[in-house]
Amino acid sequence: MLALKERNNQAFGFLYDNYAGALYSIIKQIITDNSELASDVLQEVFINIWRKIETYDQTKGRLFTWMLNIARNASIDMLRSKGYQNSQKNQELPDNVYKGVSNQTTQQNVDNIGLKKVLEKLKPEHRVLVELAYFKGFTHEEIAEMMAIPLGTVKTRIRNALLQLREYLK
Amino acid sequence: MNLKDYIESGIIESYVMGLASESERAEFEQLCTQHPELVAARRKFEESIESYAFEQAIPTPPEVKGKIFEAIGNSSARSTTSLNPPKIDTMENSKTPVRSLGLLRFVAAASVVLLIGMVWLYFQTKEQNTVLVKENDGLKIDRDTAKSRLDRIVQEQKQVVGDPNTTVVNMVGTKVAPKSSANIYWDSASTNVYLVVKNMPKLPNDQQYQLWALIDGKPSDLGVFDATDSRVILKMKNTKKAQAFAITIEKHGGSPSPTLEKMQSLGKTLQSQ
Repeated sequence: MLALKERNNQAFGFLYDNYAGALYSIIKQIITDNSELASDVLQEVFINIWRKIETYDQTKGRLFTWMLNIARNASIDMLRSKGYQNSQKNQELPDNVYKGVSNQTTQQNVDNIGLKKVLEKLKPEHRVLVELAYFKGFTHEEIAEMMAIPLGTVKTRIRNALLQLREYLK
Repeated sequence: MNLKDYIESGIIESYVMGLASESERAEFEQLCTQHPELVAARRKFEESIESYAFEQAIPTPPEVKGKIFEAIGNSSARSTTSLNPPKIDTMENSKTPVRSLGLLRFVAAASVVLLIGMVWLYFQTKEQNTVLVKENDGLKIDRDTAKSRLDRIVQEQKQVVGDPNTTVVNMVGTKVAPKSSANIYWDSASTNVYLVVKNMPKLPNDQQYQLWALIDGKPSDLGVFDATDSRVILKMKNTKKAQAFAITIEKHGGSPSPTLEKMQSLGKTLQSQ
């Protein structure tokens, strides 16, 4: 840890070799349809880890948790900026109604990796909320508005879903 | 507060997975400093996530590692050049002619003051620079979130309308309101009903639009909405059957049965044929 904070290249290489695969998996679970972008995010994530390593605070959690959250945030940012580029084409809503079919087949493959595999075990109404919150990065408020359910219900459902998730992970 | 209930509330999982709100995070971190058993529970969940993530690790693209090291190599080189201290002329370099011991003392004292001043200025500037860099980063983040807010809505709309089970019902205006129009996206598998307002006139505050499904001639309430929600996907109540959808103007909060003379828009489904 100390070697990392002192910006030791060798320690950082070790960190990469150890954690990159696990972090890449979470990135690919969020950026499901574009391997090139996913690999860009992986690169960005490790550069950020290198730059921000002094801000990591051991009392607040494990190193992996910290890195996992960096990876998740970077992936969600990417997801949104990519959506931005596509939005130009998507302005005419009704034209897109039948377009999603081909995308969905690729989507199904990635549904079977990582945490998403565990999510399969949850009730659909719980799974949707965790999906939106964890993999799409919507806030509880946004989800409540989107799904037209009270904010309190969103919170309890997500918390219950996470508790179940914890049981599955044991 | 009962610590056991708190541990079992799902807060640990929310916190670790980055889903807790700012205030929940603050409270959790505060409680962690007082309760070692809370820290132990957090650690346990972190470990299970971690070991699961390791099981699920996938091979990374081989070129990425090299690119990262290239990038961090460059950035550290850049930061050292910008940190060069300002050049300071020493007494030996100074060309001021020395006339007397008194003057010499004065010049020496003055240059010490100057030196201190410059060093102070140097650190001050450096600190300001860090603050500005941080501010700049903050602004970048703000910009990205603002930019993405719009995308999220579009993405979400794409998800709903891209589903192959979704039928689109085009709602057209009635005689009372010829310009009113909206689309219904009706998912036959999940029975979810989504509404996209295309053009509905704004209503006074005490009134709202209400959506109805007409099932075997009987109207069934699918919920209320406002005209201001234009172009956003609204999730309405589910229905398995509907030969038509209708929109009426009702008092705020909706009515148990529709005021048909105020019907604004109507759309028939395939079930009606």
